[in-house]
Amino acid sequence: MARYRALALALAASAVLALPARAQVLQRLTVRQLTLAADTTTPHTERRFHLIVTARVSERVSRLENIDLPLLASLELLGDQVTTTRNAQGTTYREVITVVAHHAGTTMIAPVTLDAVDARDGKAKRYFSNSLTLNVQGPGVLATAGPELGALARGIFDVLAWLVGGVALLAVVIALLRRPRRPAPPAPEPLPPAPLPPRARTRADALRDAALTLRADPTRASALHVRNAVRRMVGASDAETLEDVLRAIPDDEPMHGLLRALERAAFTHEADLASAVRAAIDRLEAMSA
Amino acid sequence: MNAHPQRLIDAMATTIVGQRDVVEALMLGLLANGHVLLEGPPGLAKTLACRTLAAALGGEFKRIQFTPDLLPSDIVGTRIFDQHERAFATVLGPIFANIVLADEINRAPAKVQSALLEAMQERQVTIGPQTHRLPLPFLVMATMNPLDSEGTYALPVAQMDRFLVKIDVGYPTRDEELEILERFAVRDTLPLEAVATLDDVARWRAQAHDVHLESKVKAYIVELVASTRERERAYIDYGASPRATLAIANLARGKAFLGGRDYVVPDDVRAVAPLALRHRIGFNYRVTTDGVGVAALLDRLIAAVPTP
Repeated sequence: MARYRALALALAASAVLALPARAQVLQRLTVRQLTLAADTTTPHTERRFHLIVTARVSERVSRLENIDLPLLASLELLGDQVTTTRNAQGTTYREVITVVAHHAGTTMIAPVTLDAVDARDGKAKRYFSNSLTLNVQGPGVLATAGPELGALARGIFDVLAWLVGGVALLAVVIALLRRPRRPAPPAPEPLPPAPLPPRARTRADALRDAALTLRADPTRASALHVRNAVRRMVGASDAETLEDVLRAIPDDEPMHGLLRALERAAFTHEADLASAVRAAIDRLEAMSA
Repeated sequence: MNAHPQRLIDAMATTIVGQRDVVEALMLGLLANGHVLLEGPPGLAKTLACRTLAAALGGEFKRIQFTPDLLPSDIVGTRIFDQHERAFATVLGPIFANIVLADEINRAPAKVQSALLEAMQERQVTIGPQTHRLPLPFLVMATMNPLDSEGTYALPVAQMDRFLVKIDVGYPTRDEELEILERFAVRDTLPLEAVATLDDVARWRAQAHDVHLESKVKAYIVELVASTRERERAYIDYGASPRATLAIANLARGKAFLGGRDYVVPDDVRAVAPLALRHRIGFNYRVTTDGVGVAALLDRLIAAVPTP
């Protein structure tokens, strides 16, 4: 479980903080669709459900780069599966993220973003999906009941589900038989590109999320993930050390201080860890204010 | 006195123009209790740097000029017969000092090099029936001249491995050379007063030894050393030994300590890795014939390993 939590934080932090980097190369795409959905908007705590990201572009590409997932700080990531299919209409990207919520309440998931050069006008754009609001319910009857009662309730539920399903199917068949035949409607016009939202996510937004991540999980592992995410945000590669990164951004003193604080939080000894993480959170909050 | 190592570095800078890397590497050797091999053409202040460090520490300094006719007893000492006492007396050699400069170590034959290197490793010398412990701190700084290879005896790989660090001493920049001219053309080098004591060194070593090395940084060090055995096979006959792993860890702790930290960061490892790896990797002739160069290849090896 801890491994998944760490993975979730890593993905979340890296996703949120992955703002355009120094040497980012954007794909040239005609984005037709970018959506974020869930297989339920009222999930129960401790029951897994799925978030589904779908993107459609007119070009045939082997992969879609620069898709950034939102911060899933209130959910635990259990798995992630990406499929990319190509056909005559272009490319469809589908990512299914298996998650579980541990706390009841309303959770808002920020939009997924896709950075690309718009093939129609040649301009770099950031496309946003819809956001998603989840109303996480407490544990359901089946989850809280004893095993025998749970089995009985599940049996009743299955019978009712079959009955309701059967009635619905019958209603659909009757409706189809009674429906007068009409000429096929014209093919729908292709969707216009997703409108750009009024404000793109800023560095301050990303740093605020990073502060929340670190505050929620003030461990060394979390500090290391946030450190790596901030380094990616300023365009550092995996091979670069702190000194390399600082040299690349000579005039950004606040960022120097933040990177140093995160370096300390990631590598200091146990006795100093709590203080180092606090110092890093203070820096993150000061820069996101 | 409770001096800080930076004070020692600053004091050395009053005598040594430039060569900050050399001075820092000497300090790292001192903190990590390891010996230092300096390679560079004549006239680049190698001897002066060693002498200045000894003076700044108030320790005893001895210089041994290695020549083809040098004998082991010329280094470690010997027993001579005292006519008055009618008994053998032990005369300790120049190795009994805190800082020993072994100048042009590759000019002496293997048996003399071995005598020195055994003393370096065991920090004690046996003369006749008696074993004598060497003073603490005990630091050997050996120099090699890469230009005159005629009449030299190359150090065996196993003996090179005994040196904690190897420093390539380079030529000064134009500005530094101008400063050398202005500083020393009109007067001799001023004798340096001691700014730290041998007790300070012992204390610094204890503090540097306690510097925290996080598990991810340890893994990074292991990965770096392992990469010397796995990458760049066209240019490397054999990679670094586990002694290199220990050396990098100790040097990185020293580097962090000099930086005023009690924990090591990947930058420390990256900075000291060339010092510990340069002489422990078996580079083959293609490094020269292909015009790659040892320093560039080392940089490439190190840069290829992702930092934690």
